[in-house]
Amino acid sequence: MALDTPSAPERSEATGKPLQDRVMGWIAFAVLTLAAIVWLIPLLWALDTALKTEADTTTVPVTWIPPSGFTLESFWQILSAGNMLRWYFNSFLTSSIITLLVVLLGSLAAFGFSRVAFRGRRLLFLVIIAGLIIPPQILIVPLFAEMDALGFVDTYWGIILPQIAAPLSVFIFKQFFDGIPHELEDAARVDGASRFRIYWQIWMPLARPAIAAVAIFTFVISWNNFLWPFIIVTNTDMMTIPVGIATVQSSYGVRYADIMASAVLAGLPLIIVFLFFQRQIVQGVAGTGLKG
Amino acid sequence: MGEGFGNGVGRRVRRVSRRRFLYGAGAALGGLALSSCSGAPLGGSGRIVHFWNLFGGGDGARLTDMQSNFVDSNPGIELESTTLTWGAPYYTKLSMSTVGGRPPEVAVMHQTRLGAYAPAGLLEALDPDMLAEYDIGPDKFLPEVLESAKFEGEIFTVPLDTHPQVMFYNTDIAKKAGLLDPNGELKPIEGPDAVIEAFKKAKEVTKEQGVSFAPADAAVPWRIFYTLYGQLGGEVLSPDAKEVILDQEKAETAVEYMVELTVGEELTSANQDYPAAVAQFQSGNAGFHWNGEWEVTTFEDAGMPFSIVPFPNIFGNRVQADRHTFVIPKGVAKDRRRMDAALTFVSSMMKNSFIWAQGGHIPAYRPILESQRYKDLTPQSNYAGVADNVVLDPNAWFSGSGSDMETQAAIPLQQAMAGGIKPKEAVDTMRASMQELVDTPSPL
Amino acid sequence: MAARAETAGVAQSKKEGSRGRTDLAGYLFVAPFLLAYAAFLIFPVLLGLRMSFFNASLVGTDSQFLGLANYRELLGDSDFWGSLWHTVLFTLLSTPPLVILALVFALLANRAIPARWFFRLSFFAPWVLPSSVVALIWVWLYQPGFGLINSYLVMLGLPEVAWLPDESVAMFSVVIATVWWTLGFNFILYLAGLQEIPQDVYDAAATDGAGPFAQVRWITIPLLTRTTLLVLTLQIFASLNVFDQIYIMNTSGGLNYTATRPIIQYIYEQGFTSYRVGFASAMSYVFFMLVLVVGLAQFAVSSRRRRDA
Repeated sequence: MALDTPSAPERSEATGKPLQDRVMGWIAFAVLTLAAIVWLIPLLWALDTALKTEADTTTVPVTWIPPSGFTLESFWQILSAGNMLRWYFNSFLTSSIITLLVVLLGSLAAFGFSRVAFRGRRLLFLVIIAGLIIPPQILIVPLFAEMDALGFVDTYWGIILPQIAAPLSVFIFKQFFDGIPHELEDAARVDGASRFRIYWQIWMPLARPAIAAVAIFTFVISWNNFLWPFIIVTNTDMMTIPVGIATVQSSYGVRYADIMASAVLAGLPLIIVFLFFQRQIVQGVAGTGLKG
Repeated sequence: MGEGFGNGVGRRVRRVSRRRFLYGAGAALGGLALSSCSGAPLGGSGRIVHFWNLFGGGDGARLTDMQSNFVDSNPGIELESTTLTWGAPYYTKLSMSTVGGRPPEVAVMHQTRLGAYAPAGLLEALDPDMLAEYDIGPDKFLPEVLESAKFEGEIFTVPLDTHPQVMFYNTDIAKKAGLLDPNGELKPIEGPDAVIEAFKKAKEVTKEQGVSFAPADAAVPWRIFYTLYGQLGGEVLSPDAKEVILDQEKAETAVEYMVELTVGEELTSANQDYPAAVAQFQSGNAGFHWNGEWEVTTFEDAGMPFSIVPFPNIFGNRVQADRHTFVIPKGVAKDRRRMDAALTFVSSMMKNSFIWAQGGHIPAYRPILESQRYKDLTPQSNYAGVADNVVLDPNAWFSGSGSDMETQAAIPLQQAMAGGIKPKEAVDTMRASMQELVDTPSPL
Repeated sequence: MAARAETAGVAQSKKEGSRGRTDLAGYLFVAPFLLAYAAFLIFPVLLGLRMSFFNASLVGTDSQFLGLANYRELLGDSDFWGSLWHTVLFTLLSTPPLVILALVFALLANRAIPARWFFRLSFFAPWVLPSSVVALIWVWLYQPGFGLINSYLVMLGLPEVAWLPDESVAMFSVVIATVWWTLGFNFILYLAGLQEIPQDVYDAAATDGAGPFAQVRWITIPLLTRTTLLVLTLQIFASLNVFDQIYIMNTSGGLNYTATRPIIQYIYEQGFTSYRVGFASAMSYVFFMLVLVVGLAQFAVSSRRRRDA
């Protein structure tokens, strides 16, 4: 973290090459700013379109400032006429439960693997890690058959259950637990605390960074998951946000302002979460990725 | 975080729709008991009709009107209407929901998809006497329409319309091209040469296109081909759909004619997709337009001078068509109340199908079809007679509107129209892809 | 130097005491996860294998054992090979820009001190969007006439491009949208990797007279090898499993279907649209084997690199 703000000027002064380094810094800054603006344009254009009247969306040439002014009409339209609120709820509920279960099951298992000696744990751990190579996409057909047999088609459990078997979470927690010295635990054991209490009262609070990483990552991934909810959900009232906005059409033909309004509304929750938890999310992703 | 956001939305929406908000809040409470939501059939307690359709554009707007009429006259039944993406995505969801046990009470289905649904056991067979109780009995349909609603002798669909390919023409352009008779009607155009001659004259006026249609579409090339091939008396599959009986000579004649319109006489553009084809006609860049009659609303709304005639008799008196129908997915009939709500809805839609006919579709419901007000409805009733001369896609599990067979055939047809391959190659490719579908073991 | 940076993280995992006797509590801790793992990962893998030997149907009840017939059929199915090729092509086209651009942006961002949060925001924000939002936005950007991109092209005096329908362009359009969408993830990984490189390495190099480009070439990139391998691995797997954005653009955006349909989409269509779940399972398995081969090849390459380093 000390390197979060490495300071080029200081460095250059120290090495006696201020000019070249400073010029490089400015070129880098200019190029990057240009790229960043290019990167932001699609998002801004989507928002801009959503704020236009339907007639203004198809003007040629395009204009960022619509002739008839900005309006929130499309947002009201989407929120009042569609299933948007229901989809928000479905997404929020399923993603939360998935996150909770992934953190809980993953940390429990990792604690077992890392801190408890039992026969076959190496092999079991290997089997779980091998699961990392199975792309969930190839399982859609048999999983649908399984969920159908269990009566879970078009239910919350149908959306949730296949997403909780996440070997990555076990792996990350185990890495984390392995890296912590266990003097603390020994002290607790002397006090006669049970295994579960040690897990719950000592290790879990210690594991806060790992929990944050796994939880944020899982929440974003499951909130954005398209393929599985798309397959297991057949009715509009059970759809999650990503599935709903891509499957259900308006009965009025193609209306770009409405479509962009639904896109903006669908993207907004995570963008807001991102703005508030930028540091945690970035660290989570970096941590998850680096250790995975 | 997410919670705070949800509250914000809720506050704003309460002003927009109180019912929606309560619905969302109810869902939130219901969600606390997760298991209570699992597997329960839709609308277990109240009387509610979930209705799935694939109508957008003008069709969607008219459907909305018909639905309002239903809601107004049936306060005891709640309607939840859902429009899904047209074509394969729609049909896939419909099958999966039925397999999964939570199908809608009523769904729209193209008549030509019956071969993939009835034998799969995905639809409820409809008892003629029960239909009669809701004024939609067998006597309310023409015999040939009723016949196609059946599979192995049982009725599975309630036909709403017949929607053939037709020919739109711009009356101003046709007049300047000297194609109108003294009454302002299009002079009869018959035979391959006369049709091309008329398009040439129209092109002289527009300087752009004689006729516009959409060679670069996944369905249109097939519709045009199947019309021309049908006019020549050709058939594609044996009645049991186990054999490809595509007639090489007739098929090549049909494709050659389509090529003549594009690269041959340059009367239209081979790279034109569906929206472009519509736009070309709407903006007066094409004198004629080949398409389904459903675009009538688009051109009416545009306030342009146009009329409609049946698809021209080029090689014979036939035209490709399909029918929109209502079906009841399997499982609904178990609950008498659901079935009653479903049939009440279908009945209401049929009785309101004059609204549908205004959108260009030829109504299937005889009380509407034979009514004076439909006869007075022009140009929509100009082509009502073609309903007797339609060719529908063959009945196989892989055929029908939006099916594999149509989309696969569209590719070589478009390539031929763009001049990339010879008509013979196009027919060979088409035959090969049909053969592949026929050889594929049926999943039914 | 390199060795120190790389082994620092790994070394810690070894110092944990094994007590030699079995503690039954261990099974209790791993049981809940194992149960879910067995039920929703292992079981469907096995069920899919079984289904692939039957003419199983989504709608039919009785199915017969076919032996290898499904596998034989797919080997001769041009659509299977075509869609597999689309997946491979997408991976080949999307991986290089997603890795190289991310590295370049991260290197630049590491140099540019002011407003780093702004760069992180603009590159990474798209990654938190659902695939369907990305698909909708890009279909809109790619529209002919009143689409933003074509409109700007015309303003610059260039011809319009049929981004979605044109079969020679369609795949590139998907790749562009995907690069925009997921580049931020790799960008963040590279930024994190860059921050693990100690400052004194650069100072030493600068004292020796190495310019900024030489420093990147001879110090930064070699020290980032581990990150690059990770980014590359994650990226190839993500690209091979492409489905969402192509499917959505295919079905409701007018994207050229015959030039882009990936293998996962063909599996979906065969299994659910055509009811042929047995055949679709066989395809899933053949595709899985391909993924495994790629995975093993990468493992071999990266473990050799690691030994060399």
